[in-house]
Amino acid sequence: MFVSRSMTRGVITATPETSLFDLQELMNAHRIRHIPIVDAERKVVGIVSDRDIRSALPFRFFKEGLSEEERGKFQDIRARDIMTSPVITISPGYTIQDALLLIQNAKVGALPVVDEEGRLHGILSVRDLLRAFINVLGIGEPGTLLCILVEEKVGQLKKIVDAITAMGISFGSVLVARYWEEDKRAVFPYLLTQNVAQVKKKLTEMGYTLIDPMQWYLDRIPDEERRTPPPPRP
Amino acid sequence: MKRTGLVYDERFLLHRTGPYHPEVPERLTAVMRGLREGGLLERLVPVPAEPAELVWVQAVHSAEYVRRFEAACRKGESVFDSPDNAMCRETYAVALLAAGGVLAACREVLEGRLDNAFCAVRPPGHHAEANRAMGFCYFNNVAIAARYIQRRFGIERIGIIDFDVHHGNGTQHIFEEDPQVYYYSIHQHPSFAYPGTGREFEYGRGGGYGFTKNSPALPGQGDDEYRRLLERDLLPAFEQFRPEVILVSAGFDAHRDDDMSDIALSTEGYDWIMEQILALAAAHSRHRLISVLEGGYCLTRLPELARNHVQALLNG
Repeated sequence: MFVSRSMTRGVITATPETSLFDLQELMNAHRIRHIPIVDAERKVVGIVSDRDIRSALPFRFFKEGLSEEERGKFQDIRARDIMTSPVITISPGYTIQDALLLIQNAKVGALPVVDEEGRLHGILSVRDLLRAFINVLGIGEPGTLLCILVEEKVGQLKKIVDAITAMGISFGSVLVARYWEEDKRAVFPYLLTQNVAQVKKKLTEMGYTLIDPMQWYLDRIPDEERRTPPPPRP
Repeated sequence: MKRTGLVYDERFLLHRTGPYHPEVPERLTAVMRGLREGGLLERLVPVPAEPAELVWVQAVHSAEYVRRFEAACRKGESVFDSPDNAMCRETYAVALLAAGGVLAACREVLEGRLDNAFCAVRPPGHHAEANRAMGFCYFNNVAIAARYIQRRFGIERIGIIDFDVHHGNGTQHIFEEDPQVYYYSIHQHPSFAYPGTGREFEYGRGGGYGFTKNSPALPGQGDDEYRRLLERDLLPAFEQFRPEVILVSAGFDAHRDDDMSDIALSTEGYDWIMEQILALAAAHSRHRLISVLEGGYCLTRLPELARNHVQALLNG
């Protein structure tokens, strides 16, 4: 669960002298939204986001383009003029949880990953975090979600995990919701198997209550949100 | 009455999955008991199964995968690719025979000797990917059949309807770039059920974009929701696509008494679904339809579900 495993390497960078139009082209060419600005030693001195670029140019530029003459006026804008500095950075040894909390609190879209000297090693964007959490949840792999109601006391999860492991079934993830009823928790194991009937049977025999995961959700979402509208047809 | 074929072979029972596994030979025994007790056997045309020719299997699966499967089987491995896929020494031969049985049914229908057919085969197929066995499936019977129909008979529009309660990830992925094969699946929502694909926003890829459609149903839903989804998604899609042949991945595990899912279809709900599918076949594919057994694990419900399914085929 470390940042070094989830970050993007081979980061596209620029220098403080890179022009605004070059930055914009880099973003378009590589389909990225953040460019760390580094000095000659690859130390991070700033970061430019696509939003910084949009704020620096008039709206007309995006709507109808600019004449050569108008374009000239923006020719001299450099990275150093629009970049955010100092930059919030993280180290490769940060955990994904650290990064998640930081990105949420700092309200940024990406965090450059630097070593102790401040040299750039990678970048961790919201997109990288999403990918990391898809892995954490295990939902990239085929499996089935169960919902087990357990009493709030020590050792419940161990029993469940042991029982399922004894059946030779791997876990994609286990989520625990602490607010079901008084003294109850809902445990959601995502099991990497299609063969859940035997698991359900065994857990029931062990005295656990299996509930439909949907029932758990329905108690928590307002009526009008229960059915999401379908996405537009192709 | 339609000329309906039946593919069944006692050798399908030889694929054994051991204890604690729901995909057991007794499933087929239950299906056949339903057909016999319903008085349907004498009205059906038996279609003998031969092992599929490798050329057709390899129209879907890589040669490397086929070799790996055969080798695992010969070595006496007890599982293949995942603990879900329990196997025995006969599994490879039985899987080849199941695929071959489906091809024989397709040939009879496409050459006009039958109107439609039901293939009571196992192991099932719709989770099998080109290079990976998954979810009790080794060879993707329906996908192999679709490639056979395409290449052997030059059919340009094949419609696949998959009502197994699990998404047929293998079939979808195999045809996701092919605009000549429309894959439609209705299943329990992938956030809750195996295999975790078949989300509403999966429409196919590249040239096949728009020729895949998924209708996920939330846990606890039953006949009404299936009716709503099929009317909203399947019927208009097939009206537009006008398949020349329809293949059905028939899974009976969405029944409320089947503990492999949280979908609660009634037996009548299944009847209604089959009526809709047969109406599509009558309107577009000159009744040509080949139905292939996928899942369905409730041994006490399988007889009536299979009987009604085949009765519907006979009625056309």
